Amino acid sequence: MTSLATYRRSVLHAAHLPVYDFLAPSFIQIPRASRVRYISTTRKLAAIPDQSSNTPNPGQSASSNAPSLKKPLTQAQREFLSQAFRVNQAGELAATLIYIAQTPPIVASHPHLRPLMKHMYDQEAGHLETFNTLLAKHRVRPTAMYPIWTIAASALGWGTAIMGREAAMACTEAVETEIGGHYNEQLRVLVDMVEQMEESGEEVGNELKELMSTIRRIRDEELEHLDHAVENEAKQAQPYELLTGIIKAGCRGAIWISERV
Amino acid sequence: MASKIRTLRLRPLNAKPCNRLYHSYEHPPPPGPFNAAETSILTAALPHIPSHGFTHTSLARGAKDAGYIDASTNLFPSGAFSLVHYHLYTQRMALARHKHILEASAADGKPLGVGAKVKALTWERLMGNKEIIHRWQEALALLAQPSNVPTSVSELASLSDEIWFLAGDTSVDTSWYTKRASLSTIYAATELFMTTDKSTDFADTKEFLNRRFTDSQVVGGAVRSVGEWVGFTAHAGLNVLRSKGVRI
Repeated sequence: MTSLATYRRSVLHAAHLPVYDFLAPSFIQIPRASRVRYISTTRKLAAIPDQSSNTPNPGQSASSNAPSLKKPLTQAQREFLSQAFRVNQAGELAATLIYIAQTPPIVASHPHLRPLMKHMYDQEAGHLETFNTLLAKHRVRPTAMYPIWTIAASALGWGTAIMGREAAMACTEAVETEIGGHYNEQLRVLVDMVEQMEESGEEVGNELKELMSTIRRIRDEELEHLDHAVENEAKQAQPYELLTGIIKAGCRGAIWISERV
Repeated sequence: MASKIRTLRLRPLNAKPCNRLYHSYEHPPPPGPFNAAETSILTAALPHIPSHGFTHTSLARGAKDAGYIDASTNLFPSGAFSLVHYHLYTQRMALARHKHILEASAADGKPLGVGAKVKALTWERLMGNKEIIHRWQEALALLAQPSNVPTSVSELASLSDEIWFLAGDTSVDTSWYTKRASLSTIYAATELFMTTDKSTDFADTKEFLNRRFTDSQVVGGAVRSVGEWVGFTAHAGLNVLRSKGVRI
């Protein structure tokens, strides 16, 4: 496993690109400070049931714990969660539409890519479904820019697909890099939130734990798409830097707007 | 400097707690807009509204009934408007209790559709104004005062959000906005109509409400058909071009 990781890193270094190894799928164990942090949080989360099963034994500690478990989420926490849900739904909507728009031109010129495009689209559609359900369940307002993102994402997908396979893959690479980084930021905030709640003696509910594991899974799948894009010569796109630069900037702008409106 | 700018930017968000944020099923809901003392005074003031209206008098009587001194009406800087706000807030919160009735009243063994539930809940909410409808125009005057408009609009939006949520609507696209906007319009118009309704059991209001819902269904249906037609034609055109070998 480590040899694979080092091989990967050397390949990435050879291609002279920024090493986003913190974005790599979780099954690749790259020794890094931030990695260690993620691993430690999963361990901590896994340890929570043990703690709660130990504490009820002395009756008084269970009763003293009970009121602190039922604290309402703070305004800032609810704002963060609403923003995160809204942005994630908008992002998955855009990703789904990009793949829908890319598929016909790409498959027409490169039929061997049909299974890959279908696989990536199916995963994105699953993510969108997940966030649609979560938004409706938790009463979070969808972004008001919904129609605009629909048009923009379809145009981006179609436009890059017309430019050829490499450009389409560069588009996927740029988008998934931004999305993966964004999910990582969200996870970092969620981990901090959970740590704070644990420090103040609150029990972390299943809602938050499930949300964290959902975001982890989705992030890993997004980064898998990033790998597929790089395997399919995303780096050969002309002009690579300009194209990915513009798309990345657009993604960041869209994330910024979707968090607010 | 940077931190100062940040706090300045954050202040408007923190200043006004908005209740339409992430709704948790495990944590208790955040506290409402009224604290315990305010709630007890306003609850005691509600029975005085039919006789004294949405006025300072009702508020003072409520304070007396709740065992507070007369000066405690100073707790409410916006005066009689607090009564209006409290009425809107409690009636909105009461809708969640009607849900059990709605779930039970499944016609022909079938559960009610979302549309039918929205209609029923809107009617229940209008019936919440039944006792004070002869005083409601005073409340409308207060609601329309410029300084109170943000609260009024936010309450109306929360009400339509609550109705759609309780009815089980799960749309999370643009229709989330259009649904809430159209329901708010229908509700506001019907409420205004109800203040002048003299028929028994508000039969005219019910008819008015049903006509408004039919109108919105007709308009919504027309918009949807046009959208479907445009989408179908565009797709068909694209596919014809692709079949001719155009690389798009």
